[in-house]
Amino acid sequence: MNRRAALKAMVLASLPGVAGCGSRRDGKVVIRFWNGFTGPDGGTTLTLVRQFNRANPGIDLRMQRIEWPVYYRKLYVAGLGGRAPEVFVLHTDSLRRFAEAGMVRPIDDLVGTAFPVADIDQNVWRAAQLGGKHYGLPIDVHPLCLYYNRRLLREAGFERPPTDLAEFLAVARRITRASRDPEGVRWGFSISNPSPTVYSVMRQFGGEVFTSDYSRCTLAAPANVAALQLLADLIHKERVAAPFMDFDPWVGFRQGKVGMTWNGIFMLPDLQKQKDLDFAAAPVACLGKRPAVWGNTHNFCLRAGLAPREAEAAWRFIRFYSDHALDWAEAGQVPARRSLRASRRFRDMAVQSQCAAEVPYVTYMPQIPFLFEFQTELDLAVERALRGTATAAEALATAEANVNKIIARRSAEGAAEVRR
Amino acid sequence: MTGRRRQDWLGYLFVAPYLLLFGAFLVGPLLYGLRLSLFRWEMLNATPPAFIGLGNYREAFSDPNFWKALWATLRMVVWITPCTVLLALFTALGLHSLRGRRQGLYRAAYFVPTMLTITVVGILWRWFYHPDLGLFNSCLQAWFGLKAPWFSDAAWATAAIVIMTVWWTMGGPMVILLAGLQGVPVQYAEAATLDGAGPLQRLWYVTLPILRPVLLFTVALNTIGAFQIFGQTYLVTRGGPEYATRTLVHLIYDTAFQNYRLGYAAALSWLMFLLIGAFAVMQFRMLRER
Amino acid sequence: MKTPRRFGSRPDRAKPAGMGRLTLLEAAMLLGGLLFLAPIAIIVLTALKPDSEIVHFGSILPRHATLANFGRVLATPEEFPIARWFANSVLVSGATSLLVVTVDALAAYGLARLNLPGKRWVFGLIVATLMVPGQILLTPVYLLLAWLGWLDTYQALIVPAGAGAFGVFMLHQFFLAIPRDIEEAAMIDGCSRLRIFLQIVLPLSRPALATLGIFTFVGSWNDFLGPLVFLDSAEKYTLPVGVAIFQSSYYTEYGLTLAAGVICTLPILLVFLAFQRHIIEGIAMSGLKD
Repeated sequence: MNRRAALKAMVLASLPGVAGCGSRRDGKVVIRFWNGFTGPDGGTTLTLVRQFNRANPGIDLRMQRIEWPVYYRKLYVAGLGGRAPEVFVLHTDSLRRFAEAGMVRPIDDLVGTAFPVADIDQNVWRAAQLGGKHYGLPIDVHPLCLYYNRRLLREAGFERPPTDLAEFLAVARRITRASRDPEGVRWGFSISNPSPTVYSVMRQFGGEVFTSDYSRCTLAAPANVAALQLLADLIHKERVAAPFMDFDPWVGFRQGKVGMTWNGIFMLPDLQKQKDLDFAAAPVACLGKRPAVWGNTHNFCLRAGLAPREAEAAWRFIRFYSDHALDWAEAGQVPARRSLRASRRFRDMAVQSQCAAEVPYVTYMPQIPFLFEFQTELDLAVERALRGTATAAEALATAEANVNKIIARRSAEGAAEVRR
Repeated sequence: MTGRRRQDWLGYLFVAPYLLLFGAFLVGPLLYGLRLSLFRWEMLNATPPAFIGLGNYREAFSDPNFWKALWATLRMVVWITPCTVLLALFTALGLHSLRGRRQGLYRAAYFVPTMLTITVVGILWRWFYHPDLGLFNSCLQAWFGLKAPWFSDAAWATAAIVIMTVWWTMGGPMVILLAGLQGVPVQYAEAATLDGAGPLQRLWYVTLPILRPVLLFTVALNTIGAFQIFGQTYLVTRGGPEYATRTLVHLIYDTAFQNYRLGYAAALSWLMFLLIGAFAVMQFRMLRER
Repeated sequence: MKTPRRFGSRPDRAKPAGMGRLTLLEAAMLLGGLLFLAPIAIIVLTALKPDSEIVHFGSILPRHATLANFGRVLATPEEFPIARWFANSVLVSGATSLLVVTVDALAAYGLARLNLPGKRWVFGLIVATLMVPGQILLTPVYLLLAWLGWLDTYQALIVPAGAGAFGVFMLHQFFLAIPRDIEEAAMIDGCSRLRIFLQIVLPLSRPALATLGIFTFVGSWNDFLGPLVFLDSAEKYTLPVGVAIFQSSYYTEYGLTLAAGVICTLPILLVFLAFQRHIIEGIAMSGLKD
């Protein structure tokens, strides 16, 4: 029995009586579209969905938004029960989990020759691939970027943001200012998105978090330890980064008390609302020996087992969305297609066009089925080291041991090995 | 007419609708959960569920996350229950000495928080405890130049949960205790007064002994409730720092609905159920002997 | 007669000497009550602040009060159909109350009054489940609902709620307290048990039924975990889940999330103010078992 049949049997044994959907009324093809765009990006998507429905009278596209963590839970269970929507969004690091469960339809036949595949960056397109098939169309890349407070940098005597460790430390030191008055405090740096920030630096140091076949976790490798220790030292030794958790690193940046912070490009709309903040963005500085930055991609995917007519309609929507990715980029994204990035309109988006430079070396989280369990351990290790309750080496050693226990448990349970 | 004293099987028709629901949605799932706890069932793996006996329970006892969650829960229970019940008792005593309309008015004021949904309570207190913008730290900062590490220190985070929980749940025990106080016959207190007993003595020797069963009942109810804390940690501290405030129910939720380890989650649920059961039996024993 | 009246707990006291102490006590109670209400007042006041005042904390009172946050919460019905969620909450809570009151009243009457064989055993089992934490049933009930094909439907929220033991227990205690003579007189007149129940017992128990109904309504209105786990479609959400989703989408915009919280809370506060006597006395009743 192959994986899919096993899953199906299990589902039928446990959840009979669950009807699939995909109904039609008055000849219209009904396409349900789920995503987690509950923030400002949801408004953009809604506009695009309306446009699409107007332009395609034969299709009734219905969108639903659920916040990401709940979304993934519901999508997975709905998939098991055969209630998954026709079109849904998967982040690159979650793609494998759903593809291996047999819930996603490969899109290679639909892409065919009509879609300009070469327009998508190789690394991004490859990440949507598994066993030679592509399971989703990458719409965007959303890496971390370096947001900086232009006024604070200028006051400290810098005209441009730092690009390497030496410059980074110099800027951070010059900006940091202790004060008893909370309004007077200034921090050179704040870690407002901890695990992605740490992961970026680990990769900049050349660290890998798993062996290449995912059979063993290598979180405690020297490069990873050095990366995490560097960030912890920024807080505790250098004292140029805001203390972890006793200071809201993101609100602090919005309030103008922080010189630099690394956060997702998708946080841009939040900053644009802060009228009194003079900010700009740049690619994150390389604190190690090679450029790398955490990022992720929204892949638009189709449910496995679609009827040809549904698949055609769904693909038309995905294609439409990809073609309109510049509208999408306004909400704080970098389009995955180079031709769109070369457009005048995109080059006028200051932050987005800056971060587009990061696309070639963007690095995804490992594509493992037990992503949540891994992330729990990584988050904990990061938290311990940044709070200073453990050294980076201790924290990562514990995390590595725990992740290896998860791997051992899973292989004892006969879970198929993760293929690259 | 005379057959009324007979055993009345037909009367079960009255009870049948409830028993149907009771069986289908309470007893059934409870037993099904027990069965589930003996299986390895990982929805993330394609392998079908397999019987592993007590394997899940063995795993729990060697799982540091379980122990951490257990201690986090116990730490909260030992703070929340006494604080809530004592505060409720003092408030009830205070209210009892007021009269008529005003008593009702104050009683309502103390009770309002209990009516709020956990979502709103969570939004509210997460905002209060915010390290920079929060009300508490803003005031501490303005008055003393201090900041409390509400989210970053395990003891403070526990305190944060305890404070909001006491605020949120004190209304119920208070109302029950107040009703209990109103059941204390006035004559007893008057007799004690004639014997020259002061107010404190009357409270200690007359009121509290009569109130004892009600008091123990509220303690028992509150303990059971405190064991089940979830919304507060899920919404306010997110289980942090370093999972020091992730309670048992929170762990069960993560295990079942984030990691899809249904069998293991069922075993954790049953361990928690046994623990609560043991506490409850102990407390109801105390309730009975008097 | 000289009575040393020092304890301000009796309604017949009117001595000016004690008046001072009463006022002191009452002042303390008033202060405490305000303290308990303060968080709710603050959430409303903060929701009236523009974003810039929230990010730079100045005072508790808004300097430029604005309804903009409320406007924005209500302005995007496609994104956040608050009115729809509100209607869902009303529907689900109303249907749940109706179901619970009907089913529980029948069962409680049967168990309290009819001579059912083995009813002590049945009632004991029902009462014992009062201490089963609802969360441990989550996974099994989820699987059961999936099996029934009820996931993502309203009945998934309504029907399982009928299995709860609280209402049966509460009404059972209430029915026991109704004098038997009335029913026995009716019985001699040849009334059937159903007619006795409908025409005599039910009208007598109106306050208790109302209490249970309101109680269930509020519990269902505030339920968070159930809708979170059992519903998929945003158009079926109830208010608390909708507001939680709203909060997670705008977690950096405290003004908006607080405004959403206020909108979610207002109806329940109104229900409470209208029925507070019923609600509070109902809880008191549940605590004062035999």
